[in-house]
Amino acid sequence: MLVFAASDKGGTGRSVTSANLAYQRALTGDHVAYVDFDFGSPTAAAVFDVPGALRGTEEPGLHSYLEGEAPEPARIDVWRQTEHPQLRTRPNQSGRLVLFPGDAGGGEFATGADALERCVDLLLRIDNEFDVTLVDLSAGRSYAVDMVLAATAHPRMRYVPCRWLVFHRWTRQHVIAASGLVHTDHGILRGGVERGHDEETLRASIRFVRAAVPDPESPLWAQGSPAQAAWMQACDEALRRLAAEHRIGDSVVLGIVPLEPILQWREQLITEEDVLSTQIANKETLEALEEIARRLTDDAHWGQP
Amino acid sequence: MRPPETGPPTALLCGEIRTCLLPARQALDIRSAAQFLALRADERVLLSERPTLYARSPDTLTGVDCPLPAADGARVRAVGTVAAHAVLTEGRVLQTSARFRAPASGPDQRRPWGQYLIRPGTVEPLGKLPREPVARGVLDGGRQGDLDVGLIADALLTRLLRHPLLDQRPPMRSRPTRLRWAALPAPSGAGPSLERFTLAEDELRTVRLRVPEDTPADEIAGLCADLALHDWLLTTVVRTFDGIRLGTGADRDGSSVLRALGPAVDHLLHLWMPRARVTPALARLWDPLEERPGFTRQWDALVHRIRDQLALQAIGPARREVEPAP
Repeated sequence: MLVFAASDKGGTGRSVTSANLAYQRALTGDHVAYVDFDFGSPTAAAVFDVPGALRGTEEPGLHSYLEGEAPEPARIDVWRQTEHPQLRTRPNQSGRLVLFPGDAGGGEFATGADALERCVDLLLRIDNEFDVTLVDLSAGRSYAVDMVLAATAHPRMRYVPCRWLVFHRWTRQHVIAASGLVHTDHGILRGGVERGHDEETLRASIRFVRAAVPDPESPLWAQGSPAQAAWMQACDEALRRLAAEHRIGDSVVLGIVPLEPILQWREQLITEEDVLSTQIANKETLEALEEIARRLTDDAHWGQP
Repeated sequence: MRPPETGPPTALLCGEIRTCLLPARQALDIRSAAQFLALRADERVLLSERPTLYARSPDTLTGVDCPLPAADGARVRAVGTVAAHAVLTEGRVLQTSARFRAPASGPDQRRPWGQYLIRPGTVEPLGKLPREPVARGVLDGGRQGDLDVGLIADALLTRLLRHPLLDQRPPMRSRPTRLRWAALPAPSGAGPSLERFTLAEDELRTVRLRVPEDTPADEIAGLCADLALHDWLLTTVVRTFDGIRLGTGADRDGSSVLRALGPAVDHLLHLWMPRARVTPALARLWDPLEERPGFTRQWDALVHRIRDQLALQAIGPARREVEPAP
């Protein structure tokens, strides 16, 4: 299964959350690929702590591959090449976790017919090899989004199950922007239909993930005054109404990732150790990530909204 | 039969084979296989039904003019053609194979193309060929810009995987493997021998051989394709157990065991037939591998394990849940 991670704006936690979802799936025994189509600013190498890829690999990344300069894109075995101390010992019964890095300084580019064919080749080959593939797309209606919309509408990909996650933060601007990315005239739905997708099928394959959501009940805010608490409740209510009005209400939300202080400081994977032994991360964050990872392939969460 | 190869004797033969599951829900029958592998209008696809369904495409040639990989860093420019073909076994496992032979030395200057085309699949060094460093260079992988037969095999694979006959619905997840091989001349009078078979990275294997000088490149590539096919089968069937937690009770109705092992039974278990398409002289190179690590021994154990698991599922979970006596 291919899972595309999109967002309208940067800073929504799209890359770090989807990397965590990839990690969680690999822990459950799935073979997982993480494909970095965030051509403007490839960040996955930082999240997975693979320093070789950070400096731009000797080997060609996805950008060179799609442009036809390299016959195969580089792959990084995360368990083997990470410098993250807890990831070095690959957990028992975990699946493979392989990163397909972007090139350092890749930038966006126009997609021609050749690049599209190569993109289809790549997605098919990866899907044939891995149980779950997360594809991180540059923010907005980017070339990356257009390319995968065209690729997934290609006849060769007609049997490949595809799902979309749209990440947004829990603020007025982000809610409106995320809805716009999907539903406006320049949105993913219209763009997909123009490239040959069936609108209803595509709509049914899109879910939203609210990231960095402050939970008014959380102990983080326990120090606040009653006035602050009441204000937060009211905001939360107003945002829910706004989201529903913009067709991204609870029925199309796959999950909510609570505001996590350590992710505000550093893009990283949240491990069980961070929660249980060093206790730098919150249990609720880890549980939310585990649950969203599980729901990726749980059809009960992907019915018609 | 192609005419016997003429020209100077072969000093080195190298190649690479890519092996993968055909991404199609149903295996291709012999007619579809012929259509699938018809790479050239002027040459027919070789088909055979005994002892396994086997289809082999005609050779395609790729002209090359680039340095050979050499373990000692020597820059040896070479010119000629690399031959590549594809093989489909039982309509299910697809292999592409690229190979070349090289004489011990060639002229110091590049000759007109026509003269290279007389001997397809031959790459001539300009000057002397340092065959030992080049053999090691091929097996270890060269630098960027060096001749890489793996890329030629991969390009053919990419071309075939785009074929409209494939519905891109493989029955199971699997990983392609690469097998690089190099064959050096055996001492005069000695028979062929397998010097080394290694599992390098996760999906890379290397084979080093010694063969009598008159052994045709086709036959050696055929032996290596046979090794690659069976190594891929072993690797793939071992991995069907990935991600299923046996004996934990987590899988009460056995559906995940069936889902994982069923496709292996449907599509792979009947493909094991080592040496089926290897000439008798080369077939005995299988012997050391059967001795240790014991390919067929491991395969048999896997097949038994799969059948036992499926038998347990058939008995049904209720009868298995017997509390052990204290």
